[in-house]
Amino acid sequence: MDSAASYTIAFLFAILVHGIVAALIATNWNQNLIKVADVKPYYIDATVIAENPYTARKDRESDHRKSQRDKKIRQHRLDEADFRKTQARWEEEKTQQKEDPAPQPVIETKPEPEKSVEEPKVDREAVRSSFEEELSFAVIDEKNARKAVTDDEKAMAYVAQIQREIIQNWSRPPSARNGMQAILRVHLVPTGEVVDVKVEETSGNDAFDRSAVLAVTKSERFVVPADAMRFERDFREFTVLFRPDDLRL
Amino acid sequence: MNEPLSIVDLILNASIVVQVVMAILIMASLASWVMIFQRGFALTAIRNDAAEFEIEFWSGKDLGLLYKELDEQESDLIGLENIFSSGFKEFSRSRQQEGVDPDRLMQNVQRAMRVALSREEERLETHLTFLATVGSTSPYIGLFGTVWGIMNSFRGLATVNQASLSVVAPGISEALVATAIGLFAAIPAVIAYNRFSAQVEVILNRFEAFTDEFSSILYRASHKGS
Repeated sequence: MDSAASYTIAFLFAILVHGIVAALIATNWNQNLIKVADVKPYYIDATVIAENPYTARKDRESDHRKSQRDKKIRQHRLDEADFRKTQARWEEEKTQQKEDPAPQPVIETKPEPEKSVEEPKVDREAVRSSFEEELSFAVIDEKNARKAVTDDEKAMAYVAQIQREIIQNWSRPPSARNGMQAILRVHLVPTGEVVDVKVEETSGNDAFDRSAVLAVTKSERFVVPADAMRFERDFREFTVLFRPDDLRL
Repeated sequence: MNEPLSIVDLILNASIVVQVVMAILIMASLASWVMIFQRGFALTAIRNDAAEFEIEFWSGKDLGLLYKELDEQESDLIGLENIFSSGFKEFSRSRQQEGVDPDRLMQNVQRAMRVALSREEERLETHLTFLATVGSTSPYIGLFGTVWGIMNSFRGLATVNQASLSVVAPGISEALVATAIGLFAAIPAVIAYNRFSAQVEVILNRFEAFTDEFSSILYRASHKGS
């Protein structure tokens, strides 16, 4: 056989083999194999909810008041819609975080202080003010709301960071059960150091409470916003809810 | 976002070192497949030729006539034909000289055939070393690409404060493509190397057997004449 011809034929065959393989890869023929990764680990999944009961109460109050009010001006509704939208965005963020397939405990965040502080306050003022005043307030309101959105987003990052740290340091005792919950009140100084941790609401299981306290104290120092105002408002003192939701028991 | 990353995207977005590694491996794979096919064809051809020639050789045909036919053939003589013709050429040439000792003559013939045999052996084993090299080194080259890629993706991870699996995963996956290509190149090369060297062994044994048989025929012929 002529050697040049044999090399040409061999080369063509080799190209053919590689072409087939490349085509198979390009068409993602093994796509369904990759999807197996979606299976969630079913037991290592705890939820920590940082919650400020003070603002939560406020929220409820304002809701109550809102329902009592028969008349609402248009702008207010608009504002509310805006607020809802931001809330929806937070919800979205939450769910996104939740979908994280890492076997780390999943973080869930209740609507954080700031945004609820802003809104109800304005509401109350609006009630008090006359109809005309309300219009101007509404304008300011909207601005505030917009500012609050970006501020809140920043604050959310800090909150998320703190939660992550706590979750990392939290080793649950064997006696922990789904549905147990302990609320801790944490005091920080502006450098972010933990100065005091108190059990505000016990889970009824000492070991569980201790583990929660330990999780916070172990962290020693949290990253907090440098902005003093913000720190004072949201991070000087806050409560943390420990609630393992997805234990095996 | 939920759609899994396609491998093509991974390759295209890989870092330059990893891409170079992949390119080298793909070339190696391509070259080794060229060798595989070429060797496959060549060895089959040689085997068939040898079988045909053996049939012709043992058919009781006059060896001088056979030699003349081969001599007139245009193409290069390969395999048994080459051994036969170089042996016979030496035999007839020495025979024409006056007063050559039959043992000396046989020595010359055998030397000529040994030379032809080793030339054939060389020809049979061309590219086999290349296949062996690809088979043994390309996993390492791929591994290098992977290690490099993973190294980089972890280095990148150091600056991210929110480390999650989805940050590292694409980098590692991309790096692993290099190993995959390395193995893709190596496995056929190793298989082909083993297969071909076994075949070469068989063919060479056959050649040697033929050489012995042919030299014993020539021995008889040379001693009968004297």
